[in-house]
Amino acid sequence: MNRFAWRQHRKQFLIMGVALALFAALVIPTGLHFWHVYQQALTTCKQNPATPSCGDLSGNLLQSNIDQTLLHLLPLSVILLPLVFGMFWGAPLLAKEYAEGTNSLTWTQSVSRRKWLTVKLAWVLFATALFLGAFAALTTWWSKTPNTLNLNRFGVEAFFASQGLVPVAYGLFAVAFGIMFGAWFRKTMVAVGLVLGLFVACTLVTVPNFVRPHYMVPITVTAPMGPNLLDNKIPAGAWTVSRNIVDKNGKTLNSFSPSDMPTQCAQLTQDIRVPDGSRVAKLKASGIDPVDDCLNNAGYHQIGKYQPATRYWDFQRIESGIYLGLAALAVCATYWLVLRRDA
Amino acid sequence: MGATAIQTKDLGKRYGSFWALENCNISVPEGSVSALVGPNGAGKSTLLKILVGLSTASDGAVTVLDKTPLQHADFLSDIGYLAQEIPLYRSLTAADHIAMGSNLNQRFDEASIRKRLDELSIPLNRPVGKLSGGQRAQVALALALAKKPKLLLLDEPVAALDPLARHDFLSSLVQAVAEGGLTVVMSSHLLADLERVSDHVIVLAAGKTQLCDDIDTVLDEHWLLVGPRGHTGSLNAGIHIIHETHTAKQSTLLVRIDKGTKVPTSWQKQEPNIEEIILAYMGQAKEGGVR
Repeated sequence: MNRFAWRQHRKQFLIMGVALALFAALVIPTGLHFWHVYQQALTTCKQNPATPSCGDLSGNLLQSNIDQTLLHLLPLSVILLPLVFGMFWGAPLLAKEYAEGTNSLTWTQSVSRRKWLTVKLAWVLFATALFLGAFAALTTWWSKTPNTLNLNRFGVEAFFASQGLVPVAYGLFAVAFGIMFGAWFRKTMVAVGLVLGLFVACTLVTVPNFVRPHYMVPITVTAPMGPNLLDNKIPAGAWTVSRNIVDKNGKTLNSFSPSDMPTQCAQLTQDIRVPDGSRVAKLKASGIDPVDDCLNNAGYHQIGKYQPATRYWDFQRIESGIYLGLAALAVCATYWLVLRRDA
Repeated sequence: MGATAIQTKDLGKRYGSFWALENCNISVPEGSVSALVGPNGAGKSTLLKILVGLSTASDGAVTVLDKTPLQHADFLSDIGYLAQEIPLYRSLTAADHIAMGSNLNQRFDEASIRKRLDELSIPLNRPVGKLSGGQRAQVALALALAKKPKLLLLDEPVAALDPLARHDFLSSLVQAVAEGGLTVVMSSHLLADLERVSDHVIVLAAGKTQLCDDIDTVLDEHWLLVGPRGHTGSLNAGIHIIHETHTAKQSTLLVRIDKGTKVPTSWQKQEPNIEEIILAYMGQAKEGGVR
């Protein structure tokens, strides 16, 4: 069965191998280039700390159009890679056999359906893990520069989802569900559509926005009203889950417009436009926003929640575990569909 | 004949509330070549799929080569099956299929299949999707035969073939049967073809078995009776009317006559051919209407 599985799938493995080689050809030189630019900047700043750009390396390095395009598009495309596996490897795996009737050819050779399915699943799932592992490893290595420069691999979805363990878990999830939908509906296009819908809904929308923030209880910080006061309390590299303004009763404000403010503070937003009130002028001179000052006096403050950078690998592991669990469910369902239903 | 290769008892298959096959009772002797005939939707494919274990019966019992059909190597290795659409992996070559066969079967005669395809001048290194329909059918048959099966189940294998390809296919089949040790059940609409190769017939219509017997026995038991119209009442108990046609003056009856029953002299006896008998049974099921 193994030899036949290899014969059946070697073409798609070959195509993916070429894709991986092309990806490496893009990632390795640009990754080296980014790292080189960063190291050079560090050396310059050490020798000559007065260089203007040294105060804000992340705002000054790698700002060319091509660098910025790469930094944005590459992680995004890696996020979509698991979907490609799900659509092109998972969905047709069984759907095509059913649609072309070739399942009745292989199922009447001297191999049990269970063994046939096990070998097929093993090959495709193993190859998915292997290839996505390679893609993810290359992306993680490539992201070393932006990771250290911007400290945003945890908080920015495109960076979190394109590095570490999760791309492999997403891939196994997408492929397993593609296979399951194919066995269920027996039509490749239906399975492709369903896997696309599931991946967009689950991996791109629901999990990062509504599920991931709750893997561990976030750390809460409070700060008075004022620019940067809250941000300064959130350590670098952390993922800021939420930031809100609450009134003196602890009630979270849905919007922050003058109508939500106490009247005296709301009036100040008017006064600023006509800056002739003496109190306003005095505050402004001391660098304090009169509205913030008014709100602080009225008991308003800011609340932020964040997941510290130290939890990054915990989150990678938890999310991978969830996706692997879902993939396992899909594999079980596939066994049930293939073994219990008629050809 | 000796042992039975296939025995079913009240076999039924239901899809939702529809019975595709109902109370199917057949018995196929070992070494026979059975023609499985019936109109579209009669349940022929359903029956063959149950026999090879691709489908599970909803009702009744089935024994194939003394085993219950199961998706298991022990059972499958003795059975060759050719599905209706002659499925093959279109992008793979005949050589790939041979490799598949020898990979997926403990017992697979690679030398003989190569020889067979060579004799038929079928290119081994072309994707089978690029072969003609007749060549594909030959590849599929050769694959099934290379398993050295004891039982070969063919589901309308010649339906899509032109007359020449059909002839070649049946020749290959007859040759394989002549080599011995093989029981064949083949479904088809083409009665003339079946007559050429088979010695046993199963008529399936409206999901039920109408007839299942050796062709010689069937021919012995069935007669065409021609007599004056309106005399059907005069027939004795041992004569069963399968089908009747009437003109203004006379009636023509196709009947099964129990052994030892005399036919009234007012009726003229003629020998029907197997095709007429099969059509009569298929017609009977149709007139039976909703069962």
